[in-house]
Amino acid sequence: MELVMQNFPFLLEGAYYTLVITLVSMFFGSLIGVIVAIARLKGNKVIQAIARFYVSIIRGTPTLVQIIIIYYGLVDFGISLDPLPAAFIALSINNGAYLSESMRGALQSIPKGQTEAAYATGMTPWQAMRRIVLPQAIRRAIPPVGNTFIGMLKETSLVSVISVTELLRSAQLLIAQYYVYLPFYLGIALIYWVLSTLFAYLLNKLELRLSIYE
Amino acid sequence: MITIRGLAKSFGKLEVLKDITLDVRAGEVVAILGPSGSGKSTLLRCINGLEELTKGSIEVNGILVSDSQSKKERIKHVREIRKNTGMVFQQFNLYPHKTALENVIEALLTVKKMEKSEAIKIGEELLKRVGLFDKRDVYPSRLSGGQQQRVAISRALAMDPAVMLFDEPTSSLDPELVDEVLNVIQELAKEGMTMVIVTHEMQFARDVAGRIIFMADGVVVEEGEPKDFFSAPKTERARKFLKMETKNERNEEKP
Repeated sequence: MELVMQNFPFLLEGAYYTLVITLVSMFFGSLIGVIVAIARLKGNKVIQAIARFYVSIIRGTPTLVQIIIIYYGLVDFGISLDPLPAAFIALSINNGAYLSESMRGALQSIPKGQTEAAYATGMTPWQAMRRIVLPQAIRRAIPPVGNTFIGMLKETSLVSVISVTELLRSAQLLIAQYYVYLPFYLGIALIYWVLSTLFAYLLNKLELRLSIYE
Repeated sequence: MITIRGLAKSFGKLEVLKDITLDVRAGEVVAILGPSGSGKSTLLRCINGLEELTKGSIEVNGILVSDSQSKKERIKHVREIRKNTGMVFQQFNLYPHKTALENVIEALLTVKKMEKSEAIKIGEELLKRVGLFDKRDVYPSRLSGGQQQRVAISRALAMDPAVMLFDEPTSSLDPELVDEVLNVIQELAKEGMTMVIVTHEMQFARDVAGRIIFMADGVVVEEGEPKDFFSAPKTERARKFLKMETKNERNEEKP
């Protein structure tokens, strides 16, 4: 345990990267998710098919494989990414597919009368979506999206395979140095748990704040 | 104000409206009556383009939508018509994430691109008019059905429409809340607003409408002044309908 305390700053640095990767991929994943969800519901046949294919590919393949393809595979096409950007890209694309499913469900749950009321006052489809439907859908999507976010926090550990020194890899590096396993793994497990709980708490707060109108 | 010629509307193979021809003059209040499934709501929704017409033409306040126009042209004209009409729905359809005032001024901000302070002034004035100024910052979930519908009427009036369309505005209200909504509509009629009202409230139609349109099976079966229609309907269909309705009112049955 002493070793863990001694190397705590190093682990914290790993936790910092875990957080950054989570937040970045959450942010871009949400953007992708909203766009893909709208594309699937409102796009023409081609756009819908593309969106469906994207979701199907991402959900049908392991995240680990996706990360490896983005980092190692793209080199064959002359695209060579540093580990951290590769992690951002891979996890954003991955997150986007899952979030688009939550968003799609939420968008569909908003009654048609809302859009009609907006249209009846002369709004364009885009205005009705942005001002009336999307704000309500986002509120409804928070519980499932929260689950995805917390899942993402833990999935970031996968990018340790492309040598991003996030929480898991920082523990592995320490283990390689000291040849002690359990304390480090227990230490990072605890950190993951604290972070997840914190996220859950914040999402709960957000949900409460956005539901003042109910 | 409204000119409808040869309007037909089908949902797939189902023909809901068949060759409707109808005129509404400026300042006129028209009540559309008829059994459920007669196409009266669909007719109303065709007027502001919530349903796309299959055949014929509709002109509202000088803006024409017809089957001979290209899709692009139609979309453009439908939007213009919507800016010139206000619609009130059976289910109110207030935006739940916006306060009463925000509901009223939303289109002023997004569609008319009005300054917020100016929009608020108009919105407050409209809420006063329906007696809900004190509820301006309240969310719809905290309002009664009657209050919600009055806010919805304010919202429709905010765009300063040439025509108001009412789609069974009191059908989902508790009986004791019906009058407060009908009073607001009656007030509008007195002010000379052009209105088309789909309703099941026979007494109200008789009081407020200048003309009754009776529909059944997608066609206009009969039209005339309320006193004539209610006391001496010309068609068997209308006689039967009125008999059913008066019976229902007597029993005070709620579907």
